Amino acid sequence: MLPQRMKKAVTDNPKKLATLIDLVNLPSTFKDFVGRSQSSRLGCFKHVWSYIKDNKLQDPNNKNIVHCDKQLKKILLGKTQVELAELPMLIKLHFPKVQK
Amino acid sequence: MFLTRRPQNPSKTPKSAGFRNPQNPFKKMGKLPPSLRTGKNIVLPLRSLSKDVRSSSPQEPEESQSQSSFHHGRKPPKSNTKNPPTSTTPRRPSPPPITFPSSDISAAKTLVTSLTKYSPFLNNRFCNAVLESFSSVSSNIQDSIFLLNHITKVHPSFTPDKSSYHILLSQSCTKPDPDLSNVNRALTLMASKGFQPDKVTTDIAIRTLCSSGHEEDAIELIKKLSQVQFTKPDTYTYNFMVKRLIKIRTLSSVSSFIDEMKKKFGVKPDLVTYTILIDHVCNGKNLHEAMRLLDVLEEEGFKPDCYLYNTIMKGYCMLSHGGEALKVYRKMIEDKIEPDLITYNTLIYGLSRSGKVKEAKRFLKEMVKMGHFPDVVTYTSLMNGLCREGNALGALELLGEMEDKGCSANECTYNTLLHGLCKGKELDKGVELYGVMKKDGMKLESGSYGTFLRALCRSGRVAEAYEVFDYALESKSLSDVAAYSTLEDTLKWLKKAKEQGLAV
Repeated sequence: MLPQRMKKAVTDNPKKLATLIDLVNLPSTFKDFVGRSQSSRLGCFKHVWSYIKDNKLQDPNNKNIVHCDKQLKKILLGKTQVELAELPMLIKLHFPKVQK
Repeated sequence: MFLTRRPQNPSKTPKSAGFRNPQNPFKKMGKLPPSLRTGKNIVLPLRSLSKDVRSSSPQEPEESQSQSSFHHGRKPPKSNTKNPPTSTTPRRPSPPPITFPSSDISAAKTLVTSLTKYSPFLNNRFCNAVLESFSSVSSNIQDSIFLLNHITKVHPSFTPDKSSYHILLSQSCTKPDPDLSNVNRALTLMASKGFQPDKVTTDIAIRTLCSSGHEEDAIELIKKLSQVQFTKPDTYTYNFMVKRLIKIRTLSSVSSFIDEMKKKFGVKPDLVTYTILIDHVCNGKNLHEAMRLLDVLEEEGFKPDCYLYNTIMKGYCMLSHGGEALKVYRKMIEDKIEPDLITYNTLIYGLSRSGKVKEAKRFLKEMVKMGHFPDVVTYTSLMNGLCREGNALGALELLGEMEDKGCSANECTYNTLLHGLCKGKELDKGVELYGVMKKDGMKLESGSYGTFLRALCRSGRVAEAYEVFDYALESKSLSDVAAYSTLEDTLKWLKKAKEQGLAV
């Protein structure tokens, strides 16, 4: 089954896992939003998603669409409206690959 | 219920947990309901006398009580002498449990001396509990021996018995010296006090060594003990050892151990030993070796029993060789060995897995004829088969049929169905089912979670997918990382699919 394989791929791949859970120094925009200077990509995603839920930023007619408020705009490339589907990618932009 | 089938053979019991594997298609990913899980919890029961040693420890404290709080025990006997016991209190209150805050021997001695005021209640059992309690914190056996002597001195009514020495022995076995000198010391001490080590002693020593990860020492000790008739390991001890070894060593080294035991000490492997080996190779999908072992055991004059056949059948089922499993079943019938529920569950699982659902259904009827009632595992296997065929609605119907017969579904059943419905493009039914799961607080398995997310995203219901993600975290179905990376991968896939015009 594919999803199982997918899950395995993550746990088997320490590099990929590391990019998810390693604490990194956040860029200043994110720092203000999360309220901490360090966080993991997973932590940031959860923070943004709960922020959307708490402030009811989803479009009531089409829940797949999020209307960004001022704060959210700052971290999501200044867009006024984003799709939920692109959220992980948008957040990933703040976590550039670390060059060794 | 399968476990009680052969109560006289404890070392067989845990094995049936292995048999469980084939019936539960999702075992690796998921959790069995408690009713099915019981088998796993039946750990090798310590036998007769060794139980005696353990059972003297219920007084072993759950909460750590310091010496001072010890005086505020539930029923301090001091007050007991002043006020006669009221009718509600038990006549003979037992002294409170004793814990030793440190491994300091002199402090322990003081504590033991302070117990003299309880002397009417101090029986052997209690003194052993005290000793065991100390041995669990003590770092060397010398201290425990000192304490034992001290207890004997201040409480003349106490005479150390076999259990007392077994406590010392098991302490030494949890932290054996490299040359086993402390273990030998405990054994010698025991013998010098007139308690000849016997098979129970062997059992305790070997089990303790193995459970504390000193298998190498256990091998050395078992060889030494096998030289004396009294302390020769019995079949339970021996099979326990083999079971441990096979987990950490290669098959060939275990085989040579078995060989050595047989040739040098006359400790022979029995059917259970072979079943352990075959189970191991079957789990490693090495059916070839399993067949070889089967020949060996028949040469040795053993006849395979139902357990063994089930094990081999499981091996084939894991490789999705339903046809071969069927052959094993036929051979079983030929040999006049009565199949049990596990046999049928394994068979139905194997057939379903290799796409022979029709035959699997036939066995559903046959098993009833033979007097075995299909359980949740049987039905779930069959549903799994139907879903694989793409007949998710058929599987859903089966759920109804199963519940009509008074057999209630479990998490695994629901996950199987959810997976099948999503694969079979019956998303609405899947969402409905998910609603039921959520209401009952069932966990999602990674397989069905991933499929469900994908199906939701494909139909443009990303927000719902996010909610499922939330539920997966909330219900602790998956780790955060696993749940998130599945979500992320699904969305990535969605983007691609959209570009290719495959999704909404």
